[in-house]
Amino acid sequence: MILRSLLLRHGRRALPKPPTPTPIRACRRYLASEVETTYTNPLQDQQFVESGIGGTKSQAIASLPTRDTASATTAADSDLVKQDWDFFQHQKKITNPIGTSLGPHYKPHELLAYPPWPKDITLELLMASQAHIGHATSLWNPANAKYIFGVRGERDPIHIISLDVTAAHLRRACKIVRGVTERGGLVLFVGSREGQARTVVKAAQMAQGCHLFSKWIPGSITNGQQILGKCSKKVVDEHDNVVEGFEGQLLQKAALKPDLVVCLNPLENYVLLHECGLNNIPTIGIIDTDANPTWVTYPIPANDDSLRSVQVIAGVLGRAGQEGQEVRAAKAKRGIVDYMQNHGLEPPSEEDEEAKQKLEKEQSLLAAADAFEVEDLDVEDEAAPDAAHAMVGEDGVAVIPGVDRSLVSEQDSDAHEYVFQSEERGAAVQEEGVQEQQAAPLFAGEGEGGQSAEGEGGAWREKGGQV
Amino acid sequence: MGRYNLAPQRVHTYASQLIQNKRLPSPPPWYNTIGSVPPAERLVRPPLQRSQLPGAKPAGGRKKSRLFKPLQLHYKEDSLRWEYFNDHPWELARPRVVLENDGRDQERSNWGVPLDHSLNRPRSGEMSEEGVKLDDEWDSIRQQQAGRPINGEAVVQRQAYLMSRGLSNAAAYDAARKEFYRLRHSRETETRVAREEALATGAFFGPGPLDIGMKLEDQQYDAWKTWATKEIAALKQLQGSAYTGNENEEGGVEAIEADSLQDDLQEVSESIPASRGGLEARGGAAVHP
Repeated sequence: MILRSLLLRHGRRALPKPPTPTPIRACRRYLASEVETTYTNPLQDQQFVESGIGGTKSQAIASLPTRDTASATTAADSDLVKQDWDFFQHQKKITNPIGTSLGPHYKPHELLAYPPWPKDITLELLMASQAHIGHATSLWNPANAKYIFGVRGERDPIHIISLDVTAAHLRRACKIVRGVTERGGLVLFVGSREGQARTVVKAAQMAQGCHLFSKWIPGSITNGQQILGKCSKKVVDEHDNVVEGFEGQLLQKAALKPDLVVCLNPLENYVLLHECGLNNIPTIGIIDTDANPTWVTYPIPANDDSLRSVQVIAGVLGRAGQEGQEVRAAKAKRGIVDYMQNHGLEPPSEEDEEAKQKLEKEQSLLAAADAFEVEDLDVEDEAAPDAAHAMVGEDGVAVIPGVDRSLVSEQDSDAHEYVFQSEERGAAVQEEGVQEQQAAPLFAGEGEGGQSAEGEGGAWREKGGQV
Repeated sequence: MGRYNLAPQRVHTYASQLIQNKRLPSPPPWYNTIGSVPPAERLVRPPLQRSQLPGAKPAGGRKKSRLFKPLQLHYKEDSLRWEYFNDHPWELARPRVVLENDGRDQERSNWGVPLDHSLNRPRSGEMSEEGVKLDDEWDSIRQQQAGRPINGEAVVQRQAYLMSRGLSNAAAYDAARKEFYRLRHSRETETRVAREEALATGAFFGPGPLDIGMKLEDQQYDAWKTWATKEIAALKQLQGSAYTGNENEEGGVEAIEADSLQDDLQEVSESIPASRGGLEARGGAAVHP
């Protein structure tokens, strides 16, 4: 009502003057589909910092530094979008430093992307990652009394782990991982709790070792010949290059054993640690206040329930492994190989080579015959390996790219029996690319099999060389 | 050694024996490393606390030794916390961030700055007696301390700071909590005003948790009502069909008569206690066939 009376009194003067004279056409629209043909910038009336108070956008743009006046003018004439884009970038550059800036703060992904190095271990880091928080006092294992700083809380008391002890043990464990990788040892990282998979994989990548984030199949060390015997192995030299010629020997070799096992949750992996004890393999484990410190060789008293704490510890150990690998690679470059491996492989002789060629020929013939004759069984043949694959993947035993998957599960059932036998012949052909032996004075044994979901599949990779 | 399996600790010894007896052709990769950095001793329980003050004798004869039990940790602020959170128990129900950035977060908050510092902005251009621009000073303090979380723990810390400056416990408590009240009050007012403004300009916040709960409850009641009606109808039908024949016919007639009598009575006196019609059942379903 007020507006109407205003209009009546003042007529056209009361109306705001349009910024541009609008044609009368704009008042009427004849078609619903008719659209405005000229683009008007909604921000046109905005005032801009660059051109001072009351400035317009064109003034602001004119004040921009131009690289080439000729091209700039043509661009300004022809390309409105580009002009707007340039102006947007310029404005962003000007206004970015205005306002608050975020200080350094905790970013959870950075523990995975850039794990701390052993030299970064501080009590503050450990405390911020809640490594000091233990379990309820009623759950403690008295063997951990040495690592406990005190009891906190009246109603529901918990044990607080002493962080200086944690740091000392962690540094010691770093030395071990570093020393083992420096001498061509194989480190296995195990963390089978939920959420630990990426940490474990990252640590194994850094230390060039193996990882396991699903269930440990009991007997994978003590009964490795049966469980992981068909996994692929390869021989590498001190530069990690694959050495050919050991295929026949590697067929008879048992699955490789790790030289060091890092276990992030010992409570769930007692069987693994026990097998390591039986096979004289040193172990490193995170020991919370409710775990038994005698299960592992090198305990790291810390909170194993906090992902942040586990990520810090696994990351630091992975970095230690990385340091060791770097030292080893640098030494190998200079021709120094100061470690040996008990692989028990013989250098391949000429007879072996001939026998191998003969075998290859036979295998290819057999494979061709198989393909020709057993066509009607192909359906079963194809279905079975898939089933085996699924089962194997579930169990966490690796899926090996080179070897037929049904081989891995040969022990499973009579249903696969036929498949297994028929594959056996075919498999020999495929094994060429996968198995190895060794011949040269310098070589390393590297076996792959088992426990990874990354397709790389290496549960065990053994590296070594001899002078 | 009893129930402990010490094989993990003896890997180096065992490997040495194997090498000595030529069972291992070459030492494993970890052999030298572990030889130089042996595992720490385990299963040793150090005395963690004193059983009694030196020279003092326990009153009631020998007490059970707590020598190997871990110490109870106490801090000075514990009593302040106890007092504050007993007076303000609902402060514990508020969510609080316990995440730490780098473990030195606490060092960055200066509890000498009042809790309601953000409300005390001086007027622009105001100068102190020493000639310091007060608003600039306020700005610089704010720049440092704006990230300081103001919650119940802040009150405790501020009280501890004031006590360290010579205030008595009660005076420090009053000062700290009143600053806190002021800040909370202003924050709540801000929130309320913001909500009202948003509502006034057409915001819609949707049904609250109580509304949703009531709606779900109503749905359940309605579902029960339809189910109960069906059940009653089915029971009545069953009852009617069970009494067929002469007796039942009579009974049926009687029942009908009784029903009509009831109806008459209802018309005359509805819901009178101690009458034949009795009091109306309200709030429950009479399922008496």
